[in-house]
Amino acid sequence: MAGSVNPVALNCLSYYSFLRGASSPAELIEQAAELGYQALAITDECSLAGVVRAYVANQQLPSPLQLLIGSSFDLAEQGRWVVLVRDHQGYTQLCELITKARSRCSKGAYQLGLDDLAELDPNHVILLWRPELTGAMATVTQHLLPRFEGALYLAFSRHYHSDDAARYRAYQHYHQVTGLPIVAACEVLYHQRQQQPLFDVMQAIRERQAVTQIVEHLPANHEYCLRSVAELQQCYPHAWLEQAGFIAQKCHFCLSELRYQYPSELVPEGQTATAYLRELTYAGAKRRFPDGLSADVQAKLEKELGLIEQLEYEYFFLTIYDIVQFAQQRGILYQGRGSAANSVVCYCLEITAVNPAQIDVLFERFISAERDEPPDIDVDFEHQRREEVIQYIYQKYGRKRAALAATVVRYRLKSAFRDVGKALGFREQALRHYLQRIDRRDREYHWREQLLEQVPELVQTQRGRWLLDLTQALIGTPRHLSQHVGGFVIASRSLAELVPVENASMPERTVIQWDKDDIEALRLIKVDILALGMLSALQKMLTYVRGYGQTAAEQQLSLATIPTEDPKVYQMLQQADSIGIFQIESRAQMNMLPRLKPATFYDLVVQIAIVRPGPIQGDMVHPYLRRRAGLEPIEYPSAAVKQVLERTLGVPIFQEQVIKLAMVAAGFSGGEADQLRRAMANWQRSGKLKKFERKLIEGMRARGYSDDFAKRIYQQILGFGEYGFPESHSASFANLAYASAWMKYHHPAAFYCALLNSLPMGFYSADQLLQDAKRHHVPLLPVDIQFSQWDHQLVELTERRSLRLGLRLIKGLSRQRIEALIAQRPPQGFQSLQQLQHCGARRHELQALAAADALAGVSGHRYQSQWQSLAVQEQPPLFAELLDDLNDEQVAAPTEIEDIRADYQHLGLSLRRHPLAILREQGKLRGYKTAAELSTCRSGQFVQISGLVTCRQRPGTSSGVTFITLEDETGQANIVIWLATARQFRQAYLRARLLKVKGVVEIHAGVVHVIAGQLFDESEHLRPFQLDRKRSRDFH
Amino acid sequence: MNAWLFLHFPHLLLDEQLAQQPADQQQLPQVLLEQQAGREPKVKQANLQALQQGVEVAMDWVMAQALVPELQTRNWVASREHQVLAALAQALYQDCAQIALYPPRGLLLEVKSLQRLYGGLEPLRARIEQRIQHQIPPLRYSLASGYSPLAAKLLAEAEQTLVTTATGPVEQALQQLPLQHSQLPAEQIQRLLDVGMQSLGSVLSHSAGALGQRFGKTMTQYLAQLRGELQQPQHYYRPPAYFYQRIDLLTEVQSWQQLLFPLKRLLQQLENFLQVRQLSTQQLLLKAYHRNHEPTQIEIGFAHPVWQQREIFQLVQLQLERQQLSHPALELSLWVRDLVSRESQKTRLFAAAKGEHQEDTQARAQLVNRLQARLGAQAVKVPQLRADLRPEKAHGLQPWQQIQQPTKPRYRSRLPRRPPWLLTEPEPIQRQQWQLQWGPERLVSGWWDDAPCHRDYYIALDPWQRQGWIFSDQQGWFLHGWFS
Repeated sequence: MAGSVNPVALNCLSYYSFLRGASSPAELIEQAAELGYQALAITDECSLAGVVRAYVANQQLPSPLQLLIGSSFDLAEQGRWVVLVRDHQGYTQLCELITKARSRCSKGAYQLGLDDLAELDPNHVILLWRPELTGAMATVTQHLLPRFEGALYLAFSRHYHSDDAARYRAYQHYHQVTGLPIVAACEVLYHQRQQQPLFDVMQAIRERQAVTQIVEHLPANHEYCLRSVAELQQCYPHAWLEQAGFIAQKCHFCLSELRYQYPSELVPEGQTATAYLRELTYAGAKRRFPDGLSADVQAKLEKELGLIEQLEYEYFFLTIYDIVQFAQQRGILYQGRGSAANSVVCYCLEITAVNPAQIDVLFERFISAERDEPPDIDVDFEHQRREEVIQYIYQKYGRKRAALAATVVRYRLKSAFRDVGKALGFREQALRHYLQRIDRRDREYHWREQLLEQVPELVQTQRGRWLLDLTQALIGTPRHLSQHVGGFVIASRSLAELVPVENASMPERTVIQWDKDDIEALRLIKVDILALGMLSALQKMLTYVRGYGQTAAEQQLSLATIPTEDPKVYQMLQQADSIGIFQIESRAQMNMLPRLKPATFYDLVVQIAIVRPGPIQGDMVHPYLRRRAGLEPIEYPSAAVKQVLERTLGVPIFQEQVIKLAMVAAGFSGGEADQLRRAMANWQRSGKLKKFERKLIEGMRARGYSDDFAKRIYQQILGFGEYGFPESHSASFANLAYASAWMKYHHPAAFYCALLNSLPMGFYSADQLLQDAKRHHVPLLPVDIQFSQWDHQLVELTERRSLRLGLRLIKGLSRQRIEALIAQRPPQGFQSLQQLQHCGARRHELQALAAADALAGVSGHRYQSQWQSLAVQEQPPLFAELLDDLNDEQVAAPTEIEDIRADYQHLGLSLRRHPLAILREQGKLRGYKTAAELSTCRSGQFVQISGLVTCRQRPGTSSGVTFITLEDETGQANIVIWLATARQFRQAYLRARLLKVKGVVEIHAGVVHVIAGQLFDESEHLRPFQLDRKRSRDFH
Repeated sequence: MNAWLFLHFPHLLLDEQLAQQPADQQQLPQVLLEQQAGREPKVKQANLQALQQGVEVAMDWVMAQALVPELQTRNWVASREHQVLAALAQALYQDCAQIALYPPRGLLLEVKSLQRLYGGLEPLRARIEQRIQHQIPPLRYSLASGYSPLAAKLLAEAEQTLVTTATGPVEQALQQLPLQHSQLPAEQIQRLLDVGMQSLGSVLSHSAGALGQRFGKTMTQYLAQLRGELQQPQHYYRPPAYFYQRIDLLTEVQSWQQLLFPLKRLLQQLENFLQVRQLSTQQLLLKAYHRNHEPTQIEIGFAHPVWQQREIFQLVQLQLERQQLSHPALELSLWVRDLVSRESQKTRLFAAAKGEHQEDTQARAQLVNRLQARLGAQAVKVPQLRADLRPEKAHGLQPWQQIQQPTKPRYRSRLPRRPPWLLTEPEPIQRQQWQLQWGPERLVSGWWDDAPCHRDYYIALDPWQRQGWIFSDQQGWFLHGWFS
């Protein structure tokens, strides 16, 4: 008789029960398989967040187990309950039950009663009941019997505690009274006994106490693991074990049965989705290609439509089409990107503006039948108007049918270290002290070694060793569900039939319990509705140009009609004149521009993708640049490889190329290549990439490639890691980059004005953008209550178009009130403060305006204006002349430096002279070069330079080097600081706001750097400007 | 005339801690941090070594640590600093009767009358310095005089040392003071800067009327306080009530026994003192003074607060029986500093004695007092349960004084079955002699310290049918307790 039982685990909590279980679903599945289990139920607490991971892990087993889906609930006095799903209907009921329990509470909590359980259908679910010893037998029988007879079990779980015998007797008693069968259902909280310390620490973290403080509430032993057959047989009566097998036999639901149903209202009645999509596409094609389709494009279009039909993705395209149609009607600028976005179909449906004629070559990375992965389209909208789009989706489909995908927030080093440390009773200060010693950006050097090098005594105590081990174990464990930035899942009926939905922390937002990987694994579709600041800015630029435009082209300017491939625009970019331009404005991008010298649209696509940690760590940048400059021959080991790499001169730069290489050069199938892509995304977390190494290298060797080549490709894949940038995204970005660059060159005033009105966005502050505008000779006019609007605006003062700063710069003003005030502005301007007050300005508003020097035209310089506005009473006096005698007193006018100081303080910027110009005039910078003069130096020349520190960067990709950007009245200078110099001049390196550098100029391919030899903190000079404490962007 | 002195100690708590450190430790850069809820802590006080390496007050801790990686940090504790400040006031109280505490780091001294007594400010200043400069490294402080409390305070807190009787220099110094040191509300300072005023002098140059109209009542009051036209009531420091008596002995006394008689008299005085104030005490300090030797000190503690001469005398007598007097004594003093209000003590007694008569509790406390007096405080212990799953760690003995009131358990407690008689050390047994009745109860716990346990417990009968509690672990089988 013994040995005839195939064990079944009916109640397993994974770490998706957030700190209530200590193992991943995959660990549970793999352990169960190893122990010869027949079936395993993932029953996370009021959640199905872990079931997809379990499903995926199970599918990867040589012979998968039976995976049961369920969930556990704690009903306080009524004991603990497990709901197991028997079939698809049962699954739907469970999803709805969880959704209901979750919707009653705020994020993270749930509430459920026996009434809710009683509403389930006993033909489709099974209930396991673990009563509390005090018993709630009467209520339970009353609610659930006799209806649930045959579907309700007493779940006995034995973990060798001192009350085992008492519980055994109690269960027997329940059984005799109610006739309910007893089943052996071990509660499993982790897969192996070794997980006990991690589990205990998780409980301490939940209670926010130290482990030693909650000992009474910890399990007394480590028996909450998956046990072997022998152990189980020792523990339970044979019949109870068998019962579990019978229960498993009654359940036959599999997640693969889930079928995503698209919203059907998108297709007009009487038409098929295929026909409708075809109709829309061809209608769009007429607009996009007024001269008719070339045979080539026509063929591609047909091929794409065929694929869409074959894979039944029509509704997906129609859904996005519907959303972008809405955006178009509302005049919201948007752009699609992603693998499927750069297709002819998407171009015709106006989902994207990337003209396929320009990047013909990208089509090969369209959705492929072989890979069978859901199409990937992200749609970016103007960041200031995305909410309108989201509201539209909710309105159109209803709150029950649309929800955001979840993001699983996981423990990272810092959070894990802190939480484990506190649970082990370390003091907060000590933990902070240790953490401070770890450079988390250092990817080569494991944090544990870093820490032990500096605090070797940590391993000498038991507690210290646990801190290290358990921190490592906790990293990667989920902490809670959060909402995805914009991934919507839309269903044809209630979403809760498909997956539980719960409340997000943001009011009025709901999230499903699955994240994007789960969604992908089950072949569900999500639509990414994202926010992009540059689209807001471009929309404004277009509006301005259309407003003042003289020619028909200008008056009808849109993203699609911006003239392409303008050589002057590329010339500007080649000189690294890119502040404010989308994606290529950062310091690193600016350094690359003169070296890469983009001259075509495709160069921009490369430019955007190449300045990323992936290509840099994979050492692809220099070979590409050398080949581009003709310094190195371009060779391809085979025609197949040539086809993949030709457009990037034989160097893989995009993620797609690496995957394609694995396919053509190493013989990976589409599915394997897809796995490779996933492994690349998180190889440092999962370590799964290693198993591809051999396959890759052997595959290439077998196809006649040299070992050297194979190893190089593998290294490049490693380097790509999670930072590989897809060409499909880069192309869409390049489109916006080009559009913004074109604007900067041809319509600079509109360019800066729109950027300023779209802040916060991008890399630079208003101050830096305006300094750049100054250098581009855009006339700038200060904030002035007589002329300014709330927003910055373009004015035609002289023959040049000028930029008048808006009152939005002034801190402490409300838009609504200021706009109401300006609406009353008389044609000849305000005459006095009293008049302003009569028009509704309050005392504090007058003070804010005076401080910003916006009242100069009304009441004189800022000190005088402030002196007067301070005298204004909240209640205007009945007799205006009472104030007059107070206004007599004259206050001294501010000096230039005082004005600059006040400008920075109240506006965050100044249109007056740059502080460095004044210091130079005062002779404090004698013998110093300006930033502009550096390019006229010879390489190797010794210089000294001083400037405001605007940015300190220590990229993870270059060990120990810091890049500091210095700003003076002529522009920006890049300083390179080696580790030793940084250490030697630590104080100036870390603290200086005005930094003096003595060093050597290095000029290479048009890129100018100063290699610092000595650093000096000269912030003292900035004290009169009160800029000595101004923050820069440090170590982002 | 300047009637006020203000003493400001910018690094008071840290300086106090430094003085207690060995010389080599004093040389290490160290700071005190102020913890702020939800934010990175900031540097509150720093020693010279830290300051020299670029650390500044109010700097983010992270920055300070980056500048000086070997920086030592501790938390700044307001209550401790207050104690140090009070101790300083106590020390200066001998020289000046009118001292007001300006926590956290300031003392205000009213010196108008004293100037006549000391013959000017200079001798007084020397006196003060002598009082506070006794430690190494010395306290860092700034001392300023002023014609109003606020004037003196502003200068001292701006770390300007200026001691003079003439008002002219004070006025001048005040006028030079940047607005940031004016102690006006931040918002007002901003507005003043906005009209171009940068020093206190530029403010003072305007008429009070013009300023009042623009900056309101706060400003008018501030100016009046600064000029000394508006006297704010000061809460002067009063030394705490404590009992101190020192008496001359008529003859040289050779033993404590002989001291009992004069002591009885002292204790009667103490009882009177305590009775009047409705206080009691848990500690007293006896000092016997010798001709050529350091005094002999005896500290006597009581398990519960006492005030009656009879009771105290009995307890002291028990203590002194065990003591030797090394040299003949000439004088005897009694210090009682820790005073407890009887009111608070009553409530505590009642709370402890739920379902118990107060007299019982008192009688028990008195018994413990006597036992402790005879045997030493550490000798009287009470068994207590501990939250630990390991049987041998689940209970233990606590000294009487450390007994905590049992708090209500936050969770439902599981009461495992445990034998009433637990052996101190488990005894190895022959398994075959025992007949298992029940089990196992598996205990796997304590992984976090150096005594993890991993045992299977059983209830079993020995050959004589006695019910025992036995376990097996990696080392074999053991008996751990008896049920019968």
